[in-house]
Amino acid sequence: MDVLQNIDIGLLVLDEDFNIQLWNRFMQNHSALSPTDVLGKQLFDLFPELPEAWFRRKVQSVMVLRNTAFTTWEQRPYLFPFHNYRPVSGVTEYMYQNSTIMPLTDTTGNIKNICVMIYDVTEVVANRLQLQQANQELYVISRTDGLTGLFNRKHWEEALNSEFRRFVRYNHPCTLLMFDIDHFKRVNDTYGHPAGDEVIRQTASVLKQSIREIDIAGRYGGEEFGVILIDTDAEGAFVVAERIRAAMEKNTIYHESHVINYTISIGIAELDAAMTEPTMWVDSADRGLYRAKRAGRNRSVVFSSGERD
Amino acid sequence: MTISINLSDEQRDALLDLTTISMGEAGDRLGKLLDTFVDLSTPHVEIMGPSDIAMALHSLDCSDTISGVCQGFIGGGIAGEAMIFFNDTSFIDLAHLMNYDDELDEQAERELLMDTSNVLIGACIKGLAEHIDLIFSFGSPLILGQHLRLDEFFKPEKALWSQALVTEINYRLEGYNVNCDLLMIMTESSIDRLLRRLDILLN
Repeated sequence: MDVLQNIDIGLLVLDEDFNIQLWNRFMQNHSALSPTDVLGKQLFDLFPELPEAWFRRKVQSVMVLRNTAFTTWEQRPYLFPFHNYRPVSGVTEYMYQNSTIMPLTDTTGNIKNICVMIYDVTEVVANRLQLQQANQELYVISRTDGLTGLFNRKHWEEALNSEFRRFVRYNHPCTLLMFDIDHFKRVNDTYGHPAGDEVIRQTASVLKQSIREIDIAGRYGGEEFGVILIDTDAEGAFVVAERIRAAMEKNTIYHESHVINYTISIGIAELDAAMTEPTMWVDSADRGLYRAKRAGRNRSVVFSSGERD
Repeated sequence: MTISINLSDEQRDALLDLTTISMGEAGDRLGKLLDTFVDLSTPHVEIMGPSDIAMALHSLDCSDTISGVCQGFIGGGIAGEAMIFFNDTSFIDLAHLMNYDDELDEQAERELLMDTSNVLIGACIKGLAEHIDLIFSFGSPLILGQHLRLDEFFKPEKALWSQALVTEINYRLEGYNVNCDLLMIMTESSIDRLLRRLDILLN
């Protein structure tokens, strides 16, 4: 009997009318109710927050099937509203519980009582919840470019590939912009790398304000960026590109004592059936970008598959 | 390095009979609890490797997504796991059957899944245990996954076992659109002991 009292598992025995017949020390200590407070009293009167209909169903299945039933914290975080064992360093407010409901057979083979065991699984749950949160954070970090907050190249290319596949299936227009900052090396050389970083950061921020939620922007390389414009043809993309280009031209950066102005050049390529690989799409946009540079920079140029040799 | 286990026809028949009888009794109790007629398929018994498990679920319509629960049991040197899979279309009727009046959000579905699995697995394993004169200990049931495709449940390359005795039972409930498959999987090391107990039973 001492063992049942001292074991660090909650034990209670109920009769057919849900009156409490046994209430061990774990239950006493966590509920602040002594045996004299609870013995012979009905469970649902003492714990009105217990889901009565559900618990009765559960117990009925134990009685009819003469079989143990289980509930886990995933199903219901707890049966009894107990506090975390560690009120100071714990990370959850409540004690998460798994419980087992067991039939007790009397000497005549009838089931008149059931036993409920309460296991404290708070530590397991806390670890699981922290792991889930860490995984979620890692997922975000793994696809984000640290400097700009845009998608990094790896994730952006995955998105590019999946847009390419979507086009093969549904044929919705989709256009790619590739752009880079004109004479970026000069910015670095003149004002230093921290200034260069600030230019890249602000370019990303201006870009984000100039495109829609559904468009997919990523940092492709050092000062090169890629934007996938969903459901947009080359004509529409040119309007967007010019808007982005003008916004960059207007943006003045004040870094330490320097005042920096900069421009960008943009290559535009609409996805078409002649492109058999995603890389051909990127290549077309790159050719547009090259032409924009050749034509004097600070402009947008559309390159179409028909212009290929 | 794999040693394949062979079931003699006699042993297979004995296992089938044992499972069928246990299932019949479990079905009766279930019928009483749920107040409906429970139709159980004839069990299939097979020695299988990890990559065959998904194929064992042949009574389930797998064009749909499914949800599954597993629970381990052990006793007398026999250890195994029961897995149960429901067609996701089963939930609405399952809720009626188990007298759930609440709205079926994800939390309620999880509860329904656990409670129903608990009843079905418990009835099945207990029946078997009684016949071979054992009382099993059960681990906590665990949700294997919700609303997944069948192939997402099993990663054969990650399995820690090479062969197991698999018994498949399909449940249908009269008047309800509930279709579920129960797999009782006994580990390689258990098979020997189980067969020895069967031999005692047969003689």
